[in-house]
Amino acid sequence: MSDTRKGTDMKNLLSAILLMTAMSVSANAQEQGHLNVTTTVQKEQVTVNEAGETERQLVAADTVVPGEKVIYTITFQNISDEPAENVVITNPIDESLTYVDGSAFGPGTDIQFSVDGGQTFASREALTVDEDGSDRPAEAKDFTHIRWVMQQELAAGAQGTARFSAVLK
Amino acid sequence: MRPANQQLVPASVWARQTLRVCALLALSTAAIAAGTPAGTVIENTATVSFDLAGTTLTITSNTTTITVVERIDVVVTLQSPQILVAPNDTNRALLFRVTNTGNGTETFALAIDSNLSGDDFDPVPALPPIYFDTDGSGDFNVGDLPYNPGVDDPVLPADGSVDIFLVNDIPGTVVNAELGFSQLTATSLTGTGAPGTEYTGQGDGGVDAIIGTSGGEDLDVGEYLVSEVQISVIKAQAVSDPFGGIQALPGATITYTITVEVTSSGTATASVFQDLIPTFSTYLPNSITLNTAAVSDATDADAGEFDTSGAPTVVVRLGDLTQADGLQTVIFEVTID
Repeated sequence: MSDTRKGTDMKNLLSAILLMTAMSVSANAQEQGHLNVTTTVQKEQVTVNEAGETERQLVAADTVVPGEKVIYTITFQNISDEPAENVVITNPIDESLTYVDGSAFGPGTDIQFSVDGGQTFASREALTVDEDGSDRPAEAKDFTHIRWVMQQELAAGAQGTARFSAVLK
Repeated sequence: MRPANQQLVPASVWARQTLRVCALLALSTAAIAAGTPAGTVIENTATVSFDLAGTTLTITSNTTTITVVERIDVVVTLQSPQILVAPNDTNRALLFRVTNTGNGTETFALAIDSNLSGDDFDPVPALPPIYFDTDGSGDFNVGDLPYNPGVDDPVLPADGSVDIFLVNDIPGTVVNAELGFSQLTATSLTGTGAPGTEYTGQGDGGVDAIIGTSGGEDLDVGEYLVSEVQISVIKAQAVSDPFGGIQALPGATITYTITVEVTSSGTATASVFQDLIPTFSTYLPNSITLNTAAVSDATDADAGEFDTSGAPTVVVRLGDLTQADGLQTVIFEVTID
């Protein structure tokens, strides 16, 4: 990733690279048990165009610096002929990352968090953390895992998306 | 004050100094967290579980990989208060701390600039002008070794810091209340530039390095304030002869009145007034007063005495004097022999 002052040509090129990246990720995706699940990680790149305007776009997050925000997107599709039930997507939050409060997103899902390494999950509000012998409400920095529990079945051929952001410590 | 011969340092001492600096850094590294270390690889894999046709299955996604690149940042902070100086002072030191606020190990070049605008005089950098606080005392002394540019540029791990002295002489032409500035700059040897500037492959372990908000360089400015205490001392005499006149005859009494006053900013610490009894005259016992209060001749707890251990001398201790203390008046009497 080089010059932040890209012209229009450079931006087109970047889009092309992004497309290629997405394609190669799809090729790597796991196809087991009739569900297809793919993860991507991106970050926001702020550029200033020739008119001096600030433009923001998502680019592949191959490299990050402390303080930078990354966005994880999990896409899943039922490629079988039957509905999938009790679909639960689980994603760890690496210890070098801090979850961005409120960033978890997943249409048709109930979003839950874990503060104990993924052993137990509960809603954001229900979680507490033991600190100096007494419980306090859990904060974004305490979360070790996120999971998305689909409220309804995932029909044959249907797909869904789960997303969250985190900041590199 | 540093003896002149301290400025020649044999090669073996350079090596020892480097070791000491490293040891110091190791101690200060654990104090704060600088962010995820450069070179860290963060992998992520999502898991999906579901029931299909009555069977529970679990699958995993592809694994994404992020590499943490090195962010180059440095902060220089002045540690000294304003340094009070007098004309012609030599080797007056300002203490700074250079902290690597990036997330990788960086080497920094140090530079002094005493020729700054906005002040009243330019301090004169000593030769050499930059020293490490080698003994960690915070005070500039003979245990501290000079910085040799390009030879012992400090190597700081993430969060590591090193304490640095800038040493200047004060010109003889300065006058009271004048300010002189001296500045320390620390510059990353990997590079500098606008935040976001990339140095491909030049971070720790070959990851890319990116210039952070500091631009890869920082500076801070220390101040010298000329605070030469100026004291006014005025001595007056009044003669009273045995015949009611003012002739300086044998047997006449001379009353000396000495007024002492600080006429500038600053403090004259532990000020002591001393006056030799003139020849052909004899001190009149128990005649000393300070601000009209009697001071005994004996060497005791009060403010003064008539000291006969050497040449007969009137001694009065005035303590720490500032302009706010106003006039201090000492009176004593002698008789003409």
